[in-house]
Amino acid sequence: MGSEPGLRLVHSRDPADVNELVSKVARGDSAAFEGLYDALGPAVFGVARRVIRDPNRAEDVAQDVFLEVWRKAPSFDDARGSAKTWIMTIAHRRAVDAVRRNESQKKYDGQAMPEEVQHDEPVERVIQQEEHGAVRTCLETLTELQMESVRLAYFNGYTYAEVATLLDKPLPTIKTRMRDGLIRLRDCLETAR
Amino acid sequence: MSTDVHTLSGAYALNALGPEEAAEFRRHLDGCQACREEVRELQTAVARMGAAEAVAPPPDLKARILAAADRTRQEPPAGPVTAGTSEPTPIRSAGTSSTAAGEHGRPRWVTWLAAAAATLVVAGGGAYGVQAMLDDEPPLSLAATRVFEAQDAHTATVETTEGGQLTVAVSAGRKEMAVDTRELPALDENHVYQVWSVHGDEMVSAAILSDPEIGAAMGMPDEETQVALTVEPAGGSEQPTTEPIVQVDPYEVLRS
Ligand SMILES: [Zn+2]
Repeated sequence: MGSEPGLRLVHSRDPADVNELVSKVARGDSAAFEGLYDALGPAVFGVARRVIRDPNRAEDVAQDVFLEVWRKAPSFDDARGSAKTWIMTIAHRRAVDAVRRNESQKKYDGQAMPEEVQHDEPVERVIQQEEHGAVRTCLETLTELQMESVRLAYFNGYTYAEVATLLDKPLPTIKTRMRDGLIRLRDCLETAR
Repeated sequence: MSTDVHTLSGAYALNALGPEEAAEFRRHLDGCQACREEVRELQTAVARMGAAEAVAPPPDLKARILAAADRTRQEPPAGPVTAGTSEPTPIRSAGTSSTAAGEHGRPRWVTWLAAAAATLVVAGGGAYGVQAMLDDEPPLSLAATRVFEAQDAHTATVETTEGGQLTVAVSAGRKEMAVDTRELPALDENHVYQVWSVHGDEMVSAAILSDPEIGAAMGMPDEETQVALTVEPAGGSEQPTTEPIVQVDPYEVLRS
């Protein structure tokens, strides 16, 4: 993948800028679409890469995400949430769809359990953002069970029922840990701004 | 669903609900302002967690995405729905019953498939890729395009019981198949098409077409496995709830 070693410092765009870009994309502005890719391409690819692991399939998913954004931008309404959240939600949903589809295929082939999860960093160099530090700090405020529940669902694409099975906990416990964990994350990120 | 449905907001924001529960929670959101606000806030936090995973994409991805957007039509704004606004023609599911399970728990689609086994119409192709390039239609997903454009791809076009057509491509070399769903009847926003692999009594979800405009690709099923398409509630179902509107034997396509 990338040939230059080391980290690159990328200033994350102000969410308002991303909203502005999407409203231009809605009018068919391809320069704005390129700007949007520059702003969120690494985040979209990164989350797809982390969930799917296979870089080629992650590329396909990233492409599908941006095409969906391109096609649906005219209907985007920032009163219902920021454009960045909209795009990252699409990215995660599509990444999860890709692994679950693969999973039902595997189950069908007679392999019942998902393959063992690795937690190591992706091979590609990480793009260092301001975001990274705040998120890491805030994730540390979660309890261990909250953290595990959130992590298994988000990064491994498991349903909360699968998370409950993996962690051997009752469904309602996992459900509330996920919510409580995200509420902590939200509150911490708000103050860390 | 239980009375503590509100606490599903966290799992929902993490995309961690099964398809049925997600659809049900979405219906709950329509009527629950508190949950809508909470979901929006939690999704914002989740989006930042995801963005912290940013890695440099391969350099050529940008050019591919820009080129694909360049040949893709944007959808008109949805706009507020008011009485009298024309909506896409909703199609009813093919079945009259709301469940596909028969009296003895044996899914009714088994008999349905046996009865309908002759519906495959091979319109055969090979020039599919060229046509897709020349058309003004939105492109299929990259994964589906690769199957359609494979050197050894066999394609077939099948009519559905609800009108419209499904085009299937099968590549023995890639061990993959893909469906082009752009010619299927439009569904209302509460329904999706779902693809199933059907083997004996077992019916396993192969793809939920949350976006029929881009089709879907999937691994080649085992021999004696059919592929069926049903209309399901938004978010898809664990098991089919309606009868298939079309079914295809990929190996028959391969032999065409
Ligand atoms: Zn509620």
